[in-house]
Amino acid sequence: MIRVNGKRQFWYEGMTIKDLLEDLEDSHHYAVIRINDKHVSRPYFEKTLIPDNSEVFLISLIAGG
Amino acid sequence: MTEYKIEAIKTFDYEKSVIDKGYANKTLLVDISNSDISIHPVTEKMKEVFIGGKGFDLWLLWNAVKGTTKWSDPENAICIASGPMGGTPVYPGSGKSIVTTISPLTGTVIDSNVGGYFGPYLKFAGFDALQIRGKTKTDIVILIDGIDEKIQIFETSGLPDDSYALSSTLTEHFAQGKPRNISVVSTGPGAKHALMGCLNFTWYDLKRKRARYKQAGRGGIGSVFADKCIKAVVARWDRVSVKTNNPSDGIALKEVGKKHSREIVDLDPKQNEMAKIGTTHLVTIMNDFDLLPTNNFQYGQHPEADNVGQEVYRRIFDTGYDGCWMGCTVACSHGVKDFVPLTGPYRGEKVFVDGPEYETIAGCGSNLGVFDPHTIIEMNFYCDAYGLDTISVGTSIAFAMECFSMDLINETHTGGINLSFGNRAAALEIVHQMAQGEGFGHIVGRGVREMKSIFARDYKADLNIMQDIGMEAKGLEFSEYMTKESLAQQGGYGLALKGAQHDEAWLIFLDMVHNFMPSFEQKAEALHWFPMFRTWFGLCGLCKLPWNDIIPEDNKDTQEPAKVMKHVEWYTQYYTAVTGRHTTPDGLIRMSEAVYNFQRIFNLKMGFGTREHDNIPYRAMGPVKPVEYESRPERYDKELVEKHHVDITDMSTEEKIRTLRKFRETQYEQLKDAVYKRRGWTSNGIPTIDTVTRLGIDFPEVLELLNAKLGDDQG
Repeated sequence: MIRVNGKRQFWYEGMTIKDLLEDLEDSHHYAVIRINDKHVSRPYFEKTLIPDNSEVFLISLIAGG
Repeated sequence: MTEYKIEAIKTFDYEKSVIDKGYANKTLLVDISNSDISIHPVTEKMKEVFIGGKGFDLWLLWNAVKGTTKWSDPENAICIASGPMGGTPVYPGSGKSIVTTISPLTGTVIDSNVGGYFGPYLKFAGFDALQIRGKTKTDIVILIDGIDEKIQIFETSGLPDDSYALSSTLTEHFAQGKPRNISVVSTGPGAKHALMGCLNFTWYDLKRKRARYKQAGRGGIGSVFADKCIKAVVARWDRVSVKTNNPSDGIALKEVGKKHSREIVDLDPKQNEMAKIGTTHLVTIMNDFDLLPTNNFQYGQHPEADNVGQEVYRRIFDTGYDGCWMGCTVACSHGVKDFVPLTGPYRGEKVFVDGPEYETIAGCGSNLGVFDPHTIIEMNFYCDAYGLDTISVGTSIAFAMECFSMDLINETHTGGINLSFGNRAAALEIVHQMAQGEGFGHIVGRGVREMKSIFARDYKADLNIMQDIGMEAKGLEFSEYMTKESLAQQGGYGLALKGAQHDEAWLIFLDMVHNFMPSFEQKAEALHWFPMFRTWFGLCGLCKLPWNDIIPEDNKDTQEPAKVMKHVEWYTQYYTAVTGRHTTPDGLIRMSEAVYNFQRIFNLKMGFGTREHDNIPYRAMGPVKPVEYESRPERYDKELVEKHHVDITDMSTEEKIRTLRKFRETQYEQLKDAVYKRRGWTSNGIPTIDTVTRLGIDFPEVLELLNAKLGDDQG
């Protein structure tokens, strides 16, 4: 089980960020995902595995500067 | 510590204004040539047209200088102002000051915004803005004492030269046992010898019991300050509460302020954790998207970027509250405790370093090919202590390093320094030389634009290639983002009024990653709305970070997520609650539009401000050298073939570069056309008479200037 933006979500072995986002309707908004303390950017969504019991935060990242 | 002398040569007693709805309704003029101190009224017209902050600064500066004024002339003024909301402790990010002057790097008006307590203390002492004119030959300190209601000018000797020790010494000197009552503006020896001097503004850190500082970095304002022989300007004020700014509707203010503060406390830990790691989260993200400037903006990525990213600084930063204004919940001004420099006058001593932020990590790190956090922190420390802008320092050294790597300059020119990318000791040595005004560092301290001339004239280096790789626009060094793949951000830099700084428009993610603005018209609209809204923060004494660095969870479901309209609405409520003037989101834009166009016209007054001055070096648009093209061949080949329908079968890399360049330069010119049209300017980038009339800035001297310029265009 993982938590995504504070909500519990089913987890399975081998789950990547890309897999997680495929179940969301608004996945195109998210350029960066935070898994616990680590930011992962869109180019690495496909190959980044989400560990069990992770706290996941979806970030649009429109800011900066 | 050496003994110092500080002797009052002028004392001016005054009666403090009662703050009314965010305004003191007075400005302070200090002419240091003759120690003349005077107080001037703020008119209703001034508030209506210029709002405050940068608007007031520009109006005061406009009236102080002539079109022929140079940065080092006595009539050049340094203007510092907060704004009507500046000094509000209940709303996050409400302690900013804006500083303007005629820049030694650009020759025209520069503005730089900065945290710390000075701007609010200045206002509560009775002044919406401070204007310092004139020059002296002996070091002076100016005190604005809102508690004892007096302005003093002191002659000084023996005070520390560097800003780190100086701000601490003066805080203690004037504190009368209450150091939190003091904010010091100062610079250091680098500003005396280089054109990229910064100003340090202090805020007192109660927990750590030390004066800490933030920088008004851009454009060499510190160099003007040092050239005038001002050691420091000190503001003294007492306790601050919501009532100190005397808002029109304190209940409404507290309500909206608490909403925004609470949202940040709730969401920042779920988003970028700025209260823990500041802007350092951007390092690896920029690197992942090929946007982290590396080796003088040649590349946007480096395998060692993780070494200088957030995970490292999370461990290094001293923990605790780091708000540069009271009560700010973003609290992103982190620092490093007990840092021990390996070089320079503080070698082997424990010091506290304010920073680094993203810009310094990229400028003094990746862009120099340096991926060692210790070196970056040491560069950060010495740039601050010497009074140097880390962005201009980084981009200037990066340019010199690339010239060295291309044999445009060599060790006979650098005084034996091996300026190869990645040479950490060389980068630090250049900074120390800049502070002393010695050696090759003295030349680097002139900035990229002047280095190009010196290298061409004295070392016979190829000027054309240096124009392509020298990352400056309008004379100001680029801040630290790669723009090759974002046309909108190219405009964000090139069309910015002060030069290549990203504070007007940071559109890289919106344009390149999210693709929110595919057409020229959409890019032009973004290059209208975002610079205007961002300008508004500078009019009011506000930091822009609370607006869009922490965003509501439902923001993505709104019609215009890029604008974070929920927060824009809160800012309208905030403005109305403080000033008593009702406004709307469009009203905020309209306020900025007047000031923004006035600043464009100010550039015209100083001999700039037309289309040719909005040019950027080709390195900002695309690959200059084969090695750059060949590092991302699929990207560029694809563009040539699929977008421009070019048959590249038998083309050499050099031919492809030339072909791509024609397309990209044409695009940039088309972008200029679209933006000028949207802003109500002529095709030469000059605001029309209709535009200035609509905005209420059709003053006689503005019309006279415009009529002459527009007549020149037609003639």
